[in-house]
Amino acid sequence: MLAYVLRRLISIPLLLLGVASISFLLTQMTKGDPLAALVPERMMNNPEIVATVKAEWGLDQPLPIRYVRYLGNLVQGDLGTSFATRRPVAQDIAERLPATLELVIVAMVIGTIMGLSLGLLSARFRGSVFDSVARMFALIGSSLPIFWSGLILLYLLSVRLSLVPGTGRLPPRISPPEHFTGFYTIDALVAGDLVLFGQALAHIALPAFVLGWSVTGIITRLVRSSLIEGMSLDYARTARAKGASERVVLVKHALPNAMIPLLTILGFTFAYLITGAVLTEAIFSWPGIGSYAVRAAASLDYPAIGGVTIVGSIAFLLANLLTDIAYAWANPRIKVNT
Amino acid sequence: MIQFKLRQGVATLLLAGTAFAGVPAMAQDSDTLVIARSMDVNSLDPARAFCDTCQFYLTAVYETLITLDPDNETLVPNLAESWETNDDFTEFTFILKEATFQDGSPVEASDVVWSINRLKNLKASPSFLMDGMINAEAVDAKTVKFTLDAPSSQFLNKMSASYAGVINADAAMEAGATAGEDAPETDKAEQWFLSNSLGSGPYALAAYTPEAELRLSRNDAYWGDAPAFSEIVVTQIQDAVSQAQALETGQVDIAMQIDPDTARSIRSDDVTTEVVPSYNFVYIGFIPGAKGMAEVMTPEVRQALALAIDYDGILDFTVGGSGAKQAAPIPNGFPGSAGLTPRVQDVEKAKEMLAAAGATDLKLVAGYPNDNIYGVDFNIMMQKLQQDFAAVDVDLELKPLTWAVWRDELGAGEWPITALYYAPDYYGTAQYVQYFGMIEGFPWAGRAGLETPELVVNPVQADLYAKALASSPEEAEAIYQQLGEEMMKDTIILPLVSPNLVLAYRSDIQGVRYSACCNLPLAEISRK
Repeated sequence: MLAYVLRRLISIPLLLLGVASISFLLTQMTKGDPLAALVPERMMNNPEIVATVKAEWGLDQPLPIRYVRYLGNLVQGDLGTSFATRRPVAQDIAERLPATLELVIVAMVIGTIMGLSLGLLSARFRGSVFDSVARMFALIGSSLPIFWSGLILLYLLSVRLSLVPGTGRLPPRISPPEHFTGFYTIDALVAGDLVLFGQALAHIALPAFVLGWSVTGIITRLVRSSLIEGMSLDYARTARAKGASERVVLVKHALPNAMIPLLTILGFTFAYLITGAVLTEAIFSWPGIGSYAVRAAASLDYPAIGGVTIVGSIAFLLANLLTDIAYAWANPRIKVNT
Repeated sequence: MIQFKLRQGVATLLLAGTAFAGVPAMAQDSDTLVIARSMDVNSLDPARAFCDTCQFYLTAVYETLITLDPDNETLVPNLAESWETNDDFTEFTFILKEATFQDGSPVEASDVVWSINRLKNLKASPSFLMDGMINAEAVDAKTVKFTLDAPSSQFLNKMSASYAGVINADAAMEAGATAGEDAPETDKAEQWFLSNSLGSGPYALAAYTPEAELRLSRNDAYWGDAPAFSEIVVTQIQDAVSQAQALETGQVDIAMQIDPDTARSIRSDDVTTEVVPSYNFVYIGFIPGAKGMAEVMTPEVRQALALAIDYDGILDFTVGGSGAKQAAPIPNGFPGSAGLTPRVQDVEKAKEMLAAAGATDLKLVAGYPNDNIYGVDFNIMMQKLQQDFAAVDVDLELKPLTWAVWRDELGAGEWPITALYYAPDYYGTAQYVQYFGMIEGFPWAGRAGLETPELVVNPVQADLYAKALASSPEEAEAIYQQLGEEMMKDTIILPLVSPNLVLAYRSDIQGVRYSACCNLPLAEISRK
């Protein structure tokens, strides 16, 4: 197992080189004015300004030279300077990534707990009114577009009922906690500031629920069908024959088996939530990596696009690796080929 | 053990719940002003910044020699206590007040000279303001003199632009800033300006997180009257609906980009909305130099298309009537606009002109940014235009594009019609001639004519423009009107809507106003 993990880890830099090269070439070949984020529209016809900016950002150089420079900087850990924010891309990402990860992780926890609970209860009370209601709730969450459910819930729960605060990670009048992990909830706890922790928790609750709700459907359906299938298999029949109650058969025998496909789905779900976070971030003014990526793509901010692609690739490669390890760990029938 | 952990968890949640209750959502007594805005910051360096957000940031942090009175017409002293102009508007001398920068050092003529030279020499976006300025001289510690290569009665107006703010030269040079002719290569201060400020304004930069938050703190060493708030936070809220929600809940004090439709949906009695005319406008542009269009987009066809447009309908369609029509690319209220009459629709005449020009079964393409600016959804506006053109048997294909692609295709002359917007950089009409005038080398003459500028260049305008710049502001007004009439005759730029601006703020806030030079003067705002 250790050799397998090491081999996978060693392959990551090579994969990243490929990703970086493809990303660089694709963005350079994309149709559009590369100066869109550097020269305001009013000045785009000013040859003096255009020439100055091109020289300053190296855009006057031929593509192969730009590519070699890009890779040279990359291997030294320099992701370049964003055309739009005029700051190092690494700094932008370091500030924004924790916001997205915090949102996605909380959303994943909420989505998994809701999906697992509803799937379990639906299977247990199959065919009942509860089963229908639970499946309907999960289905609505998966079907509603986030830009709609987010806005409506924000309006109802924040504006009308004042049950949750508004947008952002914290109220604008409050300064964020000292940076430790970049997760405001954790950093507030580390700082021992419970008021701040409460504010951070209150602010993340609704966007994380909206995002988590969007994946509840698939988890509920998977857990329910796996459990129903498991309950009809030999090991369940044997357990019943030995006098186990339905609840015990469900929780102690069928559920552990249902967890195996769930692990695979959770890997995909993480990827889905990262991409789904783009809309959630826009609606809840969440300063994460999703909105940064969208803005970078729309304005052809080459360094930012490259940076986000590389960091995203690292996240996905690690998530896949963790999923595979967890899968092997959870299912003794799987053997890792070392 | 499990029970103990459970109890701990519940206790934590309860404490957290108490915490929510302990911090009110609204902060009527707060010493912090919170503004919701979708920020468009491209830089916080006064000589590089060029955006709507930059205008009010720079105004609060870096002061100009002169500024614009709240009447939005009169230039008034700011860092300069007085100024003189020679008879032919080529020399301008300013006498400075006794002012200090935020570090306590005095504002001197050498700082002004250095700042304006840097603005000119960096060759960045706002550098055009100093086109024609050939010498800046510190006559003494409190007197500065500028010399131009040609008359320009608009120089004073340009000096009131927020981009012409004065920087503490010594401190900026320590941070890597340079002002010489080699500034584009040697100046290394742009990133420094993203986390520091060196102005003499009532506020200083406290922190900036791109596309998230801009935080200003009161300049305690401010030489003038101290502003009301100790802190101003501009928080990124992308769309009008979310901004309105944040305003209703009291999360923010001011929402800067509420459109009239959204303003009507606000129900809270704690929110005040004022609808005021703006100097912004949205327009369509004809491009006769586009591929294969030289013989198609003739002056006659352009005039016919202009007659086909239902200007009142577009005003209703786009902003629910909350705006004004505008005749020429000179905003209503700017010198030269008063005597201009907006175009009117005449479908029959449009059809006759098209028939006379032999333009039957005309098929055109409009490429435009897929955007919503000043509350005007470009897609809705262009769909209305498509309907209007269809009424005169012109088939208009719509092509909404991302900004980067739009810019690429505009430069390549891919289509003969586009749509865009304009907000003033300062109070003065010259900027509109400088941008929209059909004068060789000027931006829109280049865009509309592309490889064949003779299709659009109007020699009369160059003469009129030179004459306006050499005239006193009073005399220039009539010349700008003539220029407006000439631009209308060109039928290249057709303003469609000048949308009203919604000032939306909590009712305990006062002093919110719209400025033609500076957008939102932050230092004038206070809590009742």
